[in-house]
Amino acid sequence: MALTQVSSNKCAGGFQKVFEHESTELKCKMKFAVYLPPKAETDKCPVMYWLSGLTCTEQNFITKAGSQLAAAEHGIIIVAPDTSPRGCNIEGEDENWDFGTGAGFYVNATQDPWKTNYRMYAYVTEELPKLISANFPTDPDRMSVSGHSMGGHGALICALKNPGKYKAYDATVLAASYSGPQLNILIDQGQDDQFLSASQLLPDNLIAVCSEKKIPVVFRLQPGYDHSYFFMYSFMNDHIKHHAKYLNA
Amino acid sequence: MDLYEIRGGRLDVIAEEGEPSRESTTMETYNVVAGSGGRTARDVSTFQRFSVGTNESLRFEPCEDSTPSPTGAEDGCGDDDDVFKEEDTESDINSIRNRLQGKVVEMENFAGHLEEIFLTVEENFGRQEQHLEQHYNDVLQTLSQRYDERAAALEEEKKSKLEALYNQLLACGRALDSSKELIESAQEVYRSQDKRLFLKTVMPTIKRIEEYAKEDVDLTLATHLEFNTPLADLSDVKTMMDSINVVPAPSAPVINPQMPNSATQTSLRVCWSLFSDDTVEYYELYYRPVLEDTPADSTCAPHESKVKVKETHCTVADLLPNAQYELWVTATNTTGISPASEKALYMTVPSPPVIKQRECTSCPEAALIRWDSGNTNPVDSYTVELSETGTDGTESSITESIVAVPTCQCLIQLQAGRRYLISVRAVNIGGPSDRSEVITVSTTGTFFHLLEDTAHPCLSISEDGFTIFYGDEELPISAMALDDNTFFTRCVAVLGDLIPVRGRHYWEVEVDDGTEFRIGVAYEDMERNTYLGANSSSWCMRHILSPTRHKYEFLHNGWSPDLRITVNPVRIGVALDYDRGTLSFFNVNLEQHLHTFHCNFQNHIQPCFSLDNPGALTVHNGIEAPEYAFM
Repeated sequence: MALTQVSSNKCAGGFQKVFEHESTELKCKMKFAVYLPPKAETDKCPVMYWLSGLTCTEQNFITKAGSQLAAAEHGIIIVAPDTSPRGCNIEGEDENWDFGTGAGFYVNATQDPWKTNYRMYAYVTEELPKLISANFPTDPDRMSVSGHSMGGHGALICALKNPGKYKAYDATVLAASYSGPQLNILIDQGQDDQFLSASQLLPDNLIAVCSEKKIPVVFRLQPGYDHSYFFMYSFMNDHIKHHAKYLNA
Repeated sequence: MDLYEIRGGRLDVIAEEGEPSRESTTMETYNVVAGSGGRTARDVSTFQRFSVGTNESLRFEPCEDSTPSPTGAEDGCGDDDDVFKEEDTESDINSIRNRLQGKVVEMENFAGHLEEIFLTVEENFGRQEQHLEQHYNDVLQTLSQRYDERAAALEEEKKSKLEALYNQLLACGRALDSSKELIESAQEVYRSQDKRLFLKTVMPTIKRIEEYAKEDVDLTLATHLEFNTPLADLSDVKTMMDSINVVPAPSAPVINPQMPNSATQTSLRVCWSLFSDDTVEYYELYYRPVLEDTPADSTCAPHESKVKVKETHCTVADLLPNAQYELWVTATNTTGISPASEKALYMTVPSPPVIKQRECTSCPEAALIRWDSGNTNPVDSYTVELSETGTDGTESSITESIVAVPTCQCLIQLQAGRRYLISVRAVNIGGPSDRSEVITVSTTGTFFHLLEDTAHPCLSISEDGFTIFYGDEELPISAMALDDNTFFTRCVAVLGDLIPVRGRHYWEVEVDDGTEFRIGVAYEDMERNTYLGANSSSWCMRHILSPTRHKYEFLHNGWSPDLRITVNPVRIGVALDYDRGTLSFFNVNLEQHLHTFHCNFQNHIQPCFSLDNPGALTVHNGIEAPEYAFM
């Protein structure tokens, strides 16, 4: 599949690039961001997929989350796709901020008019990894997934639905029926996150299920932090380090 | 007696520094790898190679480059090597200097001994001279006495003889006079004219003359002309002269100072010599212990023992270890006993120390060994010896010695991932003691015991010292009253004896699901009446059991982040990194990182373990830290 480079900036000793391609799953042009650490010039590197939250594109993460330094230190390629298909002109996709454009939820839609283009789960778990392996110096056996907000949930379901793929629709339900190789999940939650106080986020349910099913999770409630990229930035290093432990082992 | 022999020919080593030494060293030294030549060789003209683990003598070998270049540019060694070589040469120079200093001390001791010998010889010969002078004086005196007597006797005789002769002479004179008178009167009669008168007197006169002529004239001398010379009785003078040639009693021997390494724990080897040509039948060696407190009355004086020997050396046995003894010796021959030699002080070697197994700790780079002296009286120093063992248990030939350790503990630098056998000797003037029992130290991971003195009274520790139990007992009131900050009085806790080395340390703790515990670290001076994690001098992971769920806290200064853990850890890894200032906790079975404290630990800290409800936990250490522990 042909890739067109949209931008390239030297960053933290490596390169932050953005590419564009024709997606077969989503049937439109899609952009994604790739960070190549210095190590990628000589060796194959493991890949961490970052799934962003509602309303984001591939830009927010690479400009605001501060991941490049830690990625360069640990020698990890970070791929950050967009959050939904773009320019498909489906009716109703721009009506709500949390449904449609910028709100792919990393699932495959089952109903019309969405099911043709809104196949973010397939895009993220199959098309994109193949594309990355073919075009960049990657080690296809070493792959991990992480994300924020909607992307966090997306990461959970990708991992839970693909036992062994990564070192669910509802992550909680998926966790309840997970049986596969051991996972090791790190979750940070801002205590002052308005979505938490509005009960839109229900971490306790996930924790309860994981406790019962003995899925290892460390969940940290960070006082004073909210939902923003400032919060993400503060704990990005811990998360990249957590991934590096398994990717570089 | 040859002084050279006594000292074993060591004198020449000092004069010929830089040439091969004939002396063997009893001390083994570190293996120093010396390079060939180099800029740093400018100050020391030769390099030396130490052979390790053997008694080979130290050899001095010249370095391959004869003269280092002035700028050092052509030495052929990269700049990178210089620092390394300088360190080499510095240590070489240090060891040469140390040996030279040792030799200087030896020389000083020898000079002192020589002085003593000199004084004794002077004394001995002084006495001999005196003795001779006296002897001959006696003889001379006796002789002159005899002379006087004889001279006086002779004078007497002369006088008496002369007197007798003089009397005789007088008698003769008188006789002559009377004869002359007679003759004159006879002549007168003859000449007289008166014939009648002539006839009257002639006959009686002729009768008188006849009678007188009949008298025999005694012409014998009154005395003998010769003198009476009696034989002089010089027999006693003769005896005196003879006694000059008789062998005198011997002069005092000289007792040698203690030779290094000649003593054992219970025996001493004593040597002495005789600095004159006296004949000696046997020697008697006296010795008695030197007591610390000299008692006031002499009845409690230490027991004096005596040994009779024919040689000029003796090994005295059945002595006490690490004790000082006073020794002196006399020489005896047919004439008598010599005066006693100077008293020498000898010391037996100390008893071996006893390593305190439960107070030794180690980590990958070092070990701290503690021991009991093993002697009631102080010793001079200790020597720690270590050798590496191979994985199959065979002792390797690599041995190191650390000498002049002043106290009963030693922090030794080691290499990671090896096994060492370590032992200690006590050293005094008499030499080193026997080796203590050996302790095995493994530099895999960090190893420590629990400090039982710090344990809360309700905490009991297993036999092997690594499992702690909290029984459901009431705390005795008496324990509460004590306030000397040694053991915990509220928190049922105990500290671990971590080696005071600022590096990376890792240990694991085994608990079960139902145990409420606090596991972490604390500064040694943490208040013992507070709880772990509740103050600024401790950090810990805490497990609280509530009816509905398990709760985990990571406490410091009473504050913890809000964390949820879904799988309860039963084996917890604790990783401490002084340099990075981190203390991390892991679920070992899942290799899962739980939490990291960040703190620049100013002082040395100690592991701490406590139980908040009746239960038990087990400490596991001596484990190599897993890779993820210090990522």
